[in-house]
Amino acid sequence: MIDATRSAARVFAAESLKQHRRLFGQPLVVFSMLVWPILQLATTYYTLRPVATASDAAAHWPLAADPHRLLAFLATGTLAYAFFFSLVQSAWHFSFERTTGTLELLFLSPAGRLTLMIANGAGALLQNAWLLTCFTTAALLGFGTLSVASWWMYGVVVLALLIPAVAWGAFLNSLLVFSRDSAFLYTVLDEPLWFVSGVRLPHFALPTVVQVVGAVFPLTGSLIAVRGALLEGDTLGALAPTLGWLTLLSALLLAAAAVILRVGEAHAQRTGRLRLA
Amino acid sequence: MPDTGIEVRDLHKEFPVRDRGLFGPRTTKTAVNGLDLDIPAGRITGLLGLNGAGKTTTIKILATLLRPTSGTVRVDDLDSVADARAVRRRINLIAGGERMVYTRMTGRENLWYFGQLYDVPKRELRARIDELLSLVGLTQAADTMVERYSRGMTQRLAIARGLINDPAYLLLDEPTLGLDAPIARDLRRVVARLAAEGTGVLLTSHYLAEVEELCAHVYVIADGRHLAAGSPAELKTATGSLGTVRVTVPQVPPAVAEVATRFGATRTPADGGGEILTLRSPDHMAGPLAAAIVGAGGAITALEIKEASLEDAILALTDGTVPGPVVLA
Repeated sequence: MIDATRSAARVFAAESLKQHRRLFGQPLVVFSMLVWPILQLATTYYTLRPVATASDAAAHWPLAADPHRLLAFLATGTLAYAFFFSLVQSAWHFSFERTTGTLELLFLSPAGRLTLMIANGAGALLQNAWLLTCFTTAALLGFGTLSVASWWMYGVVVLALLIPAVAWGAFLNSLLVFSRDSAFLYTVLDEPLWFVSGVRLPHFALPTVVQVVGAVFPLTGSLIAVRGALLEGDTLGALAPTLGWLTLLSALLLAAAAVILRVGEAHAQRTGRLRLA
Repeated sequence: MPDTGIEVRDLHKEFPVRDRGLFGPRTTKTAVNGLDLDIPAGRITGLLGLNGAGKTTTIKILATLLRPTSGTVRVDDLDSVADARAVRRRINLIAGGERMVYTRMTGRENLWYFGQLYDVPKRELRARIDELLSLVGLTQAADTMVERYSRGMTQRLAIARGLINDPAYLLLDEPTLGLDAPIARDLRRVVARLAAEGTGVLLTSHYLAEVEELCAHVYVIADGRHLAAGSPAELKTATGSLGTVRVTVPQVPPAVAEVATRFGATRTPADGGGEILTLRSPDHMAGPLAAAIVGAGGAITALEIKEASLEDAILALTDGTVPGPVVLA
């Protein structure tokens, strides 16, 4: 058990370095890490603001009437979206390893497959999200809109973002071991993820069908937990159903990733398609 | 764990193939068809055959990247399918002409990355990385991003990557393909040294002189089937591969013509006058032929001897000139 944990930690360290080198090759990376999300946030805010200040909107959604609280709502949405979408990007990059041949080398090594997938996602997440996390935290403090029940709820927020995001990343990576086509990730998971998960709009404002579809994306639950804990002062008890659902969803995603990896590797060993060249 | 070597028994590999598009009929393509191989520790074993013979498929099965359709591969008594993870710790694969490393990391970081994946003990890893970088001549470029490496440098790094786990068995698929001659020579020395230190090596190469120089035992395959096995010398003898003696003479008086007929040499005009007498023979006939020509009053202006080559033997086997399988000691 100790040996397995130590080996896994070494895989995490290796993947972290690899992701760091991949992401920080040039200074322009700051655009994708900070400037782009802030532009998205500003666009969304100034699009929503005129609608939100209309008298009817405020009656249905009181938060919208307060510019600072609306900005905080959207900032948390952008942050959580950045967490999850960075894993979509990471999975897309992971698919390139099939064409460069390095995926074959990963499978030639004795490293645990699920560990590799989780480490790859977690490495990308840490590299991608830290700057935006710092910015969002500073912004929320600056707005004076934070309403947190107790200090350790910050820990709950971190876990509610990290664990489902890493499970999501491992799941996406495992899909790409099985499938050679990765472009579908962007098509299926960019705009739809914004929409169905309630990044820009409160969950209750979405049509029921969209709410049901959104429930299967861990980003939805993470957003409810993060906004509840940071903006609404929800306690652990109040968030328990959401956190329970997120835990279940994360476990399901990891279990699915393990199964897909097992089946995918066996399929690749049968067909010789671990490498495209 | 006992070093019992790699034992391959009745290995078959079929690939599913869809002939026409997504909905075309499925067929199967047989890449390996009943191979038996033994790759003991401390020996360099060659695997030869023409393109499409099944060499790379066989190596990938031994590396656990492909699963056999039937048959068994055991590495030091570990089953390559059931005990794949333990097998992966004991082997590594180097494919020539390929540059499968991360370009946005330095050479040193690449080796560190793979060392982490192989769980090489930390205190050994640093020393091994330095040793391998020195071995492939990359010490000066160790901390340079690989994207700034030349093609040859990247390929040398890929070779170092294949040695990072100090494998008990090394699978080499055309390792010197595209390498500069001095680096290829150094790699051959490294492989010979590794084998002398106990590493079992399986080598495929189109450079048959390389195989002849390194391999104590060679398997020849075609269409996934076993054709012959033995030492390079045994294969040449068994296939009757002939050496060549070429004697250039300024004139061919009747007595020398009679010698040529007696030895079975062919006569062709030489550039600049005279004739070339060419004799193909399994024996070293240069001495007797030259002595006979001089004894018959002839003169010799040039003598060229070309020994029987492994290439001749492989061609004889794969052309079907010699019926297989030819199994030697």
